[in-house]
Amino acid sequence: MWLNQERSTDILFLFGYTADIISTVEFNHSGELLATGDKGGRVVIFQQEQENKTQTHSRGEYNVYSTFQSHEPEFDYLKSLEIEEKINKIRWLPQKNAAQFLLSTNDKTIKLWKISERDKRPEGYNLKEEDGRYRDPTTVTTLRVPVFRPMDLMVEASPRRIFANAHTYHINSISINSDYETYLSADDLRINLWHLEITDRSFNIVDIKPANMEELTEVITAAEFHPNSCNTFVYSSSKGTIRLCDMRASALCDRHSKLFEEPEDPSNRSFFSEIISSISDVKFSHSGRYMMTRDYLSVKIWDLNMENRPVETYQVHEYLRSKLCSLYENDCIFDKFECCWNGSDSVVMTGSYNNFFRMFDRNTKRDITLEASRENNKPRTVLKPRKVCASGKRKKDEISVDSLDFNKKILHTAWHPKENIIAVATTNNLYIFQDKVN
Amino acid sequence: MEFKLEAHRIVSISLGKIYNSRVQRGGIKLHKNLLVSLVLRSARQVYLSDPCLGAPGAGGPPQSPPPQQQQQPAGDPTSGWGEALPRDSSMEQDPEPAGASSAASELPALPLALGKRPPEGSPPPRAEAVPEAPRRRVEAAEAERGGGGEGAPEGPPRARHCCCRRLGCPPHGAPRADCGCRQRQDDGAPPPPVCPRKRSASGAGGGPAGCLASGGSPVKKPRRDSEEQPGEEEEMETGNVANLITIFGSSFSGLLRKTPGGGREDEDGEEEESPRGAEAEEPGPMYCDKPVLRNLNPWSTAIVAF
Repeated sequence: MWLNQERSTDILFLFGYTADIISTVEFNHSGELLATGDKGGRVVIFQQEQENKTQTHSRGEYNVYSTFQSHEPEFDYLKSLEIEEKINKIRWLPQKNAAQFLLSTNDKTIKLWKISERDKRPEGYNLKEEDGRYRDPTTVTTLRVPVFRPMDLMVEASPRRIFANAHTYHINSISINSDYETYLSADDLRINLWHLEITDRSFNIVDIKPANMEELTEVITAAEFHPNSCNTFVYSSSKGTIRLCDMRASALCDRHSKLFEEPEDPSNRSFFSEIISSISDVKFSHSGRYMMTRDYLSVKIWDLNMENRPVETYQVHEYLRSKLCSLYENDCIFDKFECCWNGSDSVVMTGSYNNFFRMFDRNTKRDITLEASRENNKPRTVLKPRKVCASGKRKKDEISVDSLDFNKKILHTAWHPKENIIAVATTNNLYIFQDKVN
Repeated sequence: MEFKLEAHRIVSISLGKIYNSRVQRGGIKLHKNLLVSLVLRSARQVYLSDPCLGAPGAGGPPQSPPPQQQQQPAGDPTSGWGEALPRDSSMEQDPEPAGASSAASELPALPLALGKRPPEGSPPPRAEAVPEAPRRRVEAAEAERGGGGEGAPEGPPRARHCCCRRLGCPPHGAPRADCGCRQRQDDGAPPPPVCPRKRSASGAGGGPAGCLASGGSPVKKPRRDSEEQPGEEEEMETGNVANLITIFGSSFSGLLRKTPGGGREDEDGEEEESPRGAEAEEPGPMYCDKPVLRNLNPWSTAIVAF
């Protein structure tokens, strides 16, 4: 299927979009819409074309659907701090009516946006001209009923709720509950529970801030609600642990129900062991049975029923282990890679450097490295698998570790919930790939 | 030996990162600074335990600088240093020889700058004296002495094991005096005697600032005294990192807001990542003109201004 090695990998390059530095990518629940957030506080939404009956060899392409400025830079005068407008996360709400809703957040403020289409407008007012000017009432001699007439499609985004002033530290995650009424937001030390309708208060459910800040040893790095159990959520830490909490147990979920932690391999100890064990992303599988975590060098799949070690571990770029000092110097070791599941939870994907991204098939245990770059891929060409040569003789077509470009990193990837379409964000470009449908 | 150099290099880089994080947009990133502080601690431990230091045993050396240096802080009349130097007596009591004269010689750099005195009688500061390192080394050494010779503020012998993993607490050694794992000594943060700068009377951050320049973690006392202290808690500043961060001015009433942390000073002019270019408060001739002290000057200037 997707990673069958008998034939070449049939992944087509469909689409490229250049933007400001992309900071988040997210498909909506149907996969028809794809939202990206960038460093400039903008959100760009792409929509999949409806399937063209004449072109059966591919699904629809994604075109720009809506663009709006979600967050602006702010200044906290009390602390003399500038608040970046960069969009850290976008999460879609399930569609309930004709409009679409999404949550977008920067470091401090979460906003609920309504994206709606307008393709009709009323015409034939009695007191107004078509351009909006008011008519002189004395000139009205007859009455008519205004009617809706079609117009060019207009997509409007309007902020419906603004959830502010609840986070002292930088927000790193938002996650919508399966009850579709509440959501959580997590910063470095606290997690808050919100109701989508209520903006003036939130409920603190996790607080790991020590009484004495000098005793701080770990921070929260990501949090997510369970996809099916509305009382369950997990949060990951900079120490490489994941805590699963049940909101029924107590109001403040400082005590976890489960603690997932793998003992460290002592042979791998170095100055940077702690940094590379910090978890940068946690994602539940669609089934809710598993969760996946991403640390600097690997992806781990955990069974929620087993806390002492992951059930699967995939090395993303183990060849970097000997380069940690250089990566520390150039700050790359702090890069926060995300990871994602495919719709059937059989394949997981994550990004790497040199614009490489990796997929791991959990069933066949095969993995593949692909590159997202315009130079190498014209639209509709099949992607060639890549290989990094860690040491020794470099074969033809292999790339040596030292020639990797660490400025080209893929931190954000997303997989269509139903089809084999993936969105991969390099620094400035968004790529959309799909597998070839024969 | 190469471990020590590597460790030192990592310490330098880490301090540069912490400084840079202060000036970047969006405020200090707690997560990144915590990770950097963990690396700093690891590097420091390696630095301390490296036998090439010449000290007897791990972490042994630096608690007792050579006598001439002891005199300096003891007699340091630095105005504004509210506290006496309780450590001085402990220093002299210290049975361990100042084996690592090399390590110890890093310490004088601090009182020298602090005291604004000519550094006569003190050994030349070491090239790679990262201000933080000597401070911590002193503390570790003091801690490892198990309280003996520590002087009154340290109280009874400490637990052998530090139950927390705070920066500055060697995991397998005795905890720092101010380790939260044990009963805190309220009367004294454990400033090493050689860093009187720490005791900024105004406590408005000059203390922590200076303290950090001299090495970081034990700035608690001045920080407590600082009127900004209560406000700091909610200002995204960790303790360990806060010590490092406060030096970079966020609580220092703006005076040093843009000045670097004096984080590094390599005598040989080793390229440092940060603060040099940003130094705004080059002091002047009153200070020892050793290049190693150049980076410490902004603190002194600020302190003088106070």
